[in-house]
Amino acid sequence: MAEMEVERAIERLFARTPEMADADAFAERVQRRLDRGWAARRVLIGSAGMVGGVIGASQLIMSNLFSRAEAASSESARVLTSGVRQLAPQAEWLLNGPAGIEAVWLVAGLAVVAMGLVLTRIIEEI
Amino acid sequence: MSRTERHRLSSLHDVELAGLAASGDRQAFGELVRRHGSAVRSLLRRMGVSAAEADDLAQDAFIAAFESIAEFRGEGAFGGWVKKIAARACIRRVQKDRQLRARLEAAELQEPAVLADPGRRMDLDEALKGLAEGERLCVSLCYGAGLSHAEAAEALNLPLGTVKSHVKRGLDRLKARLAPEGDTLEGRRGNG
Repeated sequence: MAEMEVERAIERLFARTPEMADADAFAERVQRRLDRGWAARRVLIGSAGMVGGVIGASQLIMSNLFSRAEAASSESARVLTSGVRQLAPQAEWLLNGPAGIEAVWLVAGLAVVAMGLVLTRIIEEI
Repeated sequence: MSRTERHRLSSLHDVELAGLAASGDRQAFGELVRRHGSAVRSLLRRMGVSAAEADDLAQDAFIAAFESIAEFRGEGAFGGWVKKIAARACIRRVQKDRQLRARLEAAELQEPAVLADPGRRMDLDEALKGLAEGERLCVSLCYGAGLSHAEAAEALNLPLGTVKSHVKRGLDRLKARLAPEGDTLEGRRGNG
């Protein structure tokens, strides 16, 4: 028999594997290990999230962030309004319209949400 | 898992199951283990590992396969992909055994196991037991796990020539044992 034929015959013999009697039990053992690993991972992520949340919340309270954010918000609204006036005098209608500055904030918020969605999508694709 | 769910999974192709497993479906992966577990365990036993150790290695290989299932693109067979993972895991274990490693490197000095009845026709598992360790490992890697000679040499950290020598001698001995008296390997069935 030519060497190539021997090789093919040996390959075929290797490929012929009868199913073992405990194939189901083996699969269940693997699945139990996967389940255990998954449960451990969930507990770890949950614990890390909780610890992070508690630390974050305590930092927010300790640093008096809410009053700072309020002050920064009114200041940034003033800066944004003057900026928009300088950049685009045509946008007067928007600022002076019935919705005024609220509309600008709404559009900015939507833009941030859209950006978040795009970033999420890109991360998923990667 | 319900009977209906199991029936649904058993009707899916390996690539579809791998896709489900990649999205975190462990039951879909369990079906893949059910399909390919025996082949992977057999390969490891054929490489010369004991049954218990082969089962441990096969479990580790499937867990590793689940962790990296996103890398399986369906270009080759899932069974072949897992076999390569299992074979490499087996080699890593072999590398830790220094005495075995020394025997693998000494290609020309190896003597095969003595057979009780060399003229008797035998099945593959039995015939493999009659090969020297290096021959058995290299033949199993190349013809069971589908590694090329170069891949096997790299995985075993052996010179390519040594691996080729193991394979050549192993094949010659297998041929003699599987078809001892002018018989051919063609048409052999029911190999266990």
